[in-house]
Amino acid sequence: MSADLALAPAGFWRRAVFSTDHKVIGRQFLWLGLVFLAVAGALAMLIRWQLAHPGIPVPVVGGVIFPASGGVVSPAAYTALFTMHGTIMIFFALTPILIGGFGNFCLPLMIGARDMAFPSLNMLSYWTMFAATAVLTASFFAPLGPPAAGWTSYPTLSTAVGAPGVAQTMWVVAIYLNGASSVMGAVNYITTVIRLRAPGMTFFRLPLTVWGIWLASILNALFVPVLAAGAVLLFFDRVFGTRFFVAGSAIKPGGDPVLYQHLFWIFGHPEVYILILPAWGIAGDLLAFFARKPAYGYKVTVWALIAIVVLSGVVYGHHMFVSGMSPLLGEGFMILTMIISVPSIVLGVGWLGTLWRGAIRFTTPMLFALGLVTVFGVGGFTGLFLADVLSDVYLHDTFFVVGHFHLTMSAAVLLGAFAAIYFWFPKMFGRMLNEPLGKLHFALTLTTVLVTFGLQLVLGYAGMQRRLADPSAYAFLRPLMPLNRVVSTAAFVMGAGQILFVVNFFFSLFWGPKAPANPWEVGTLEWTVSSPPPHHNFDVIPRVFAGPHELGNPVMKEARGRDYQVQSEELPG
Amino acid sequence: MLPVVALASLSAWTLALAPSLPRLLPFALVSPLPHDASAEGHHVDELLRYLTISTAACFGVLMSILLVALVFHRGRGRIARYTHGTRRRDRLAAVIAGAVVLFGIDAVALVRSSSALRASFWRYPDGDPLAFRVEVTGQQWAWNFRYPGADGVFNTPDDIVTLNDLRVPVDRPVYLQLTSKDVVHSLYLPNFRTKIDAIPGSVTRLWFEPRETGKFEIACAQHCGAWHYKMRAELTVQDGADLARWLQRAAEDAALRYEAADAEAHDGWAWTPAP
Repeated sequence: MSADLALAPAGFWRRAVFSTDHKVIGRQFLWLGLVFLAVAGALAMLIRWQLAHPGIPVPVVGGVIFPASGGVVSPAAYTALFTMHGTIMIFFALTPILIGGFGNFCLPLMIGARDMAFPSLNMLSYWTMFAATAVLTASFFAPLGPPAAGWTSYPTLSTAVGAPGVAQTMWVVAIYLNGASSVMGAVNYITTVIRLRAPGMTFFRLPLTVWGIWLASILNALFVPVLAAGAVLLFFDRVFGTRFFVAGSAIKPGGDPVLYQHLFWIFGHPEVYILILPAWGIAGDLLAFFARKPAYGYKVTVWALIAIVVLSGVVYGHHMFVSGMSPLLGEGFMILTMIISVPSIVLGVGWLGTLWRGAIRFTTPMLFALGLVTVFGVGGFTGLFLADVLSDVYLHDTFFVVGHFHLTMSAAVLLGAFAAIYFWFPKMFGRMLNEPLGKLHFALTLTTVLVTFGLQLVLGYAGMQRRLADPSAYAFLRPLMPLNRVVSTAAFVMGAGQILFVVNFFFSLFWGPKAPANPWEVGTLEWTVSSPPPHHNFDVIPRVFAGPHELGNPVMKEARGRDYQVQSEELPG
Repeated sequence: MLPVVALASLSAWTLALAPSLPRLLPFALVSPLPHDASAEGHHVDELLRYLTISTAACFGVLMSILLVALVFHRGRGRIARYTHGTRRRDRLAAVIAGAVVLFGIDAVALVRSSSALRASFWRYPDGDPLAFRVEVTGQQWAWNFRYPGADGVFNTPDDIVTLNDLRVPVDRPVYLQLTSKDVVHSLYLPNFRTKIDAIPGSVTRLWFEPRETGKFEIACAQHCGAWHYKMRAELTVQDGADLARWLQRAAEDAALRYEAADAEAHDGWAWTPAP
């Protein structure tokens, strides 16, 4: 206790705002991510309103948000809505929650370290992210309207040719700052896991959560700089009048808009895995914890994750099958992309094997992990439709793509994030979340996710393009409008269902029952310290003797009367 | 706990059906795919059908195993089986699952895809005297179509240029070359199962063969600004005689409209065979 007092900074600013404590920074990232999750979710509601009832004023809030058009989402406003929805969800909601929030909070605790390898860099990473969010938020109010070139911001639409307003420049700056924050975090996580593991914590004793976040960090460190390069060139094109991405003409030399697409997707495809890897890791741990069994084929699972990480860097071309790519490249990228299905199915076998003949406890985090597995299943299999050049040429830029990536990198990741929140909330805030409310939240979220994004697959299959402010402009899409309204209804219920989570979160934060050190009865190191943990995490750095999911060992049951072995205890006898 | 399990199974089965929903939804007793009016589109439809059935089957098997585990292997009273899943048969399960996906789905789809692409979609009709050639220039927010005119050469005074109105002959290869004046667009022909980007500064190409006469929609598939959703054009497939009559009239109109001094209007280019 005295050591705790000696180490923890006393002042409010150093303790709660400009803290270098990974637990505080983790919570800061979580808050930031949740706030922007709400913002991006609200934008999605407006998008869905427009797709269900194009040209009809948005009820209640329409007059306030779109006063110029009498509450109607104008086509220009619609393009801004989907641009900001995508940008915020990916860069400012899901990434901060899982990698910034739980990466920071869990990594040192789970590997038995007192903090990150570079605590000051960690703080800088958060405040760089904060600056990025400030710039992006300001861009909403820029003259000529918010950024509207899509979250991919392809040139030349994103250059002065298609986006003369300052908002697009602010978007580029926000993305650059966000990338800088991610890379700082990534370097920190990579180093921390390599250098600060407790004695005995070998790589193959790391919880899968740590594996997921660590591998995602490696991808972050390798590929975010490629996006940053693209952002810098785009910034130059916009601000200094260079022509990296603006095509030339016979009298004016110029660059190639497709170059940006390469840079973007060299980053963009790994980004999918940057988002899903932590969620996969969390699901892998939670399934084992609540099936009360060791993770099935742990090493095979880890190698499958590594294989996916390697492959993720060489498949990005499937995003560009309709950009006039050479057939040779098309076939190459098609083969490489389809091979990802093999390690992916191996992951699936691991998850099912873990559940098989377990003693499954349906806690809220477990339900969300199971939801992730199912939702990712649909998303993963539909990926095969888009890996094939032949089917992709038809499905490219349709709602099939929208449904697919929402299931894989949004809904599955979001379910993973909720699983993580319900699981680690007691450790983070020292109080338990309400379980029945959590289960209701799960039921609403899972069912609406399936209807919303499942039916989007159907819309795309029927040929409906993405990013249309009014699909009924096309005769062949008019019969699909009823289906669009079903999707929107499901999305509205999904949005409303999140109120349950908000209520649960804030109520439990203040009035939830006090959390014991180990409420879930599992053996990873973060549960060996108090909830919330002391400033320095561990009084004595633990010594690790066992893997992360040593559950159901009969020897433990016999000697200690419980079914789990803590990683830092030796097997009796 | 039973309601939770019931809910989980219900959700799981909803999900199990999701990949095959395109074929199961009642409003789509016929397939939800738009009408196929092309000679090659059936390759796409068959591949989509194969992928739908094979992935739904795989997913159904996995979900069934999941459901059995969730229903029968639950509860605090049970003793979980203490295994790390490292026995030979566990490894075998992973190998079998991987092999089923690799050979049952991936390889089949790859072969189907590649053979159709090589036989048709990627085999541009460069040497084909029957090929009907049109140059397409996308712009915010319309499609310009340029026909070579009587001399068969593009970017000459007798070119015919139309806005949002593409007319092609039936049962002949239609060969398009595309570029864009401003931002990236994508020419999308839902009834012909194909699309290609139109990119400023470069020329992309696309070909298809209409099998029936009629009017079809041309869409833009790539977000190109606020009025992207209105970047719609019409494709009219006609038989040879009708088309010849229309071309004759269009040539007269084009001659009246032609202005030698208007350099901006001469945005065609010399036709270039596929590399």
